[in-house]
Amino acid sequence: MTTKLTEGAIEALTKGNTVNNAVLQVVNIRKIESGSGPARFRLMMSDGLHTMSAFMLSTQLNPMAEQNLVAPNCVCLIKKNVTNVLKDGRRVVIILDMEVLRPAEEVPGKIGDPTPYVEGELLPVSKGPSRDFAKKAPSTPGGSSKVVPIASLNPYQSKWTVRARVTNKSGIRTWSNSRGDGKLFSMEIVDESGEIRVTGFNQEVDKFFSLIEPGKVYYISKGTLKIANKQYTSLKNDYEMTLNGESTIIPCEDTQDVPMVQCNFVSISDLETRDKDAIVDVIGVCRSVEDITRITTKSSREVSKRTLSLMDMSGKVITVTLWGEEAEKFDGTGQPIMAIKGARLSDFGGRSLSALFSSTVMINPDIPEAYKLRGWYDKEGHALDGQSMTELKSGGGGGVNTNWKTLMDVKMEHLGHGDKADYFSCVATIVYLKKENSLYQACPSQDCNKKVVDQHNGMFRCEKCDKEFPNFKYRLILSANIADFGDNQWVTCFQESAETILGQNAAYLGQLKDSNEAAFEEVFQQANFKTYIFRNRVKLETYNDESRIKATVMDVKPVDHKEYSKRLIMNIRKLSAQ
Amino acid sequence: MANVYESPKARVNSSMLPQYAGRPVCLVGRVEKVHPTGKSFFVSDGEGKPATVELNEPLEEELSGVIEVVGTVTNKGTVIATTYHILREDKGTSFDLELYNEALKIVHDFSQYYPFEVSMSA
Repeated sequence: MTTKLTEGAIEALTKGNTVNNAVLQVVNIRKIESGSGPARFRLMMSDGLHTMSAFMLSTQLNPMAEQNLVAPNCVCLIKKNVTNVLKDGRRVVIILDMEVLRPAEEVPGKIGDPTPYVEGELLPVSKGPSRDFAKKAPSTPGGSSKVVPIASLNPYQSKWTVRARVTNKSGIRTWSNSRGDGKLFSMEIVDESGEIRVTGFNQEVDKFFSLIEPGKVYYISKGTLKIANKQYTSLKNDYEMTLNGESTIIPCEDTQDVPMVQCNFVSISDLETRDKDAIVDVIGVCRSVEDITRITTKSSREVSKRTLSLMDMSGKVITVTLWGEEAEKFDGTGQPIMAIKGARLSDFGGRSLSALFSSTVMINPDIPEAYKLRGWYDKEGHALDGQSMTELKSGGGGGVNTNWKTLMDVKMEHLGHGDKADYFSCVATIVYLKKENSLYQACPSQDCNKKVVDQHNGMFRCEKCDKEFPNFKYRLILSANIADFGDNQWVTCFQESAETILGQNAAYLGQLKDSNEAAFEEVFQQANFKTYIFRNRVKLETYNDESRIKATVMDVKPVDHKEYSKRLIMNIRKLSAQ
Repeated sequence: MANVYESPKARVNSSMLPQYAGRPVCLVGRVEKVHPTGKSFFVSDGEGKPATVELNEPLEEELSGVIEVVGTVTNKGTVIATTYHILREDKGTSFDLELYNEALKIVHDFSQYYPFEVSMSA
């Protein structure tokens, strides 16, 4: 008995119609390992007319596949199925119950001459010249394959081509870890339907990196799709693409309809409502720009930095920080329109923006929002003062992320007891200053502050520099007791903070101590009972079997009463609402 | 009027004036307009609400900026000033009237924690 397949079933299922008891032939079966959970089997089925590969075996039927009951060429009766629609509109048919009518061994081959029926694309099966991207293949640059929208890309389809513009190309990054070395580059591509992040590793870096130019349009095929790692990208796409050995990238001449860039601009005044560390796109007029500065990072790398202020039609202004090459290249003359895609919103100084490695910075971009801004600014914007979202005042600690504690909190929360030192800020009053041993004789060399040993022959020896000097410089180590309403704390202040508190420099104080005891004491008396904002570091330290909390003053600043009042009022209101 | 100096004066804003009729208060506001006779002027408080201040003798100087008025509240809701002093804006940090208003509200909302009305023992 020749088994008759249910012709037309594939078409019906793909269109979303229910088909009961379809008889289909298995063309191909593939096992998909999933990191967590059981393996899934994906099938390509034929109804004699068409084939479709978006069939998944429901896990309860896995044993059938594992025992090879379901194998290529076998004919099955689909007793129960359900169709799932993916986010991009594609359909996947899940086979819930199935019976093998004719096992594979009994079926000689493919029944009929089915052609692939897949929504909206013809699949270029050729492994030919279109793969050879290195020479600009003028023949069929994607001509034989229909282009699909980026929004429709998903891991269940492997043969597709997209036509998109590269909006952002990163540099080559290398890494070295226990598993070996590697290099990667990444880029973001956009078309009318959406955007997606593309990464190439190792060999793909060699193959594609020099070919890709930001701003140009390419046909890209056969990348691997997987769930996006949102940690590395802010793009709106659930998936991201990795280039593999089969991927192709061909330049495209026909760039009409492909947008320059897809941005979801947030107005500067709305940035206040966004969470800190959010990734946002902004566009605005660059009102002013600072000079470039060089900063040494915690990892001892030197990097360039430039800040500028950006204003948009909300009338609000925000400070934007650019780094590295972006900072160096930036030209703010003529108040250009500046757009940043993927900038990080920080709560530094209230609200401010920082360009990341992955951000795209565009000057006077060719997009409608830019023209609107230009028009608005020339007419009214330039006259506006603009209200800044970033507190640029140097005094009073504009940083909203300061860790404010009272001295009581320090003891109650056992700050400093962990592995790392704890840092906190507090408002406190000096209640005692120890003038004994507040000064020591230090090595006069630059950058060396080690205590020198008095050789009593007019020379002073520094052990660290291994040299003797005829002189020394006085340095301060001030032991103070500071207090607030709840508690007190012994702290140590070094040179800078001590000089601020005492209001005199160390050299002068040293002189005074040696010459005029009364005047020296007077300095300490005057400094007593003054209130400051202290930024402190506390750590548990062990000294000869004894562990105690040591507190050091990192910074001393006068109290900014306005800021302090605001904070207190806010805290009172918050507490009363609880 | 002499007892204005002796008793504690509550700090108020314009909306609280009706509740303090007949009592000594301290009102801080920004001078908006001075009456041509110089015997009264209008201020606006931290919330932007207006209040009228009356004087016993006409003003001898120009008044502008933020001013602190100490006086008694009349039944009409105006303040008869016993004394005033101008918080000069050119000296030191500028006075943040809105912030002052917020602090004022806290003092009144949580008056049990701010027992200013300590009576002078006779």
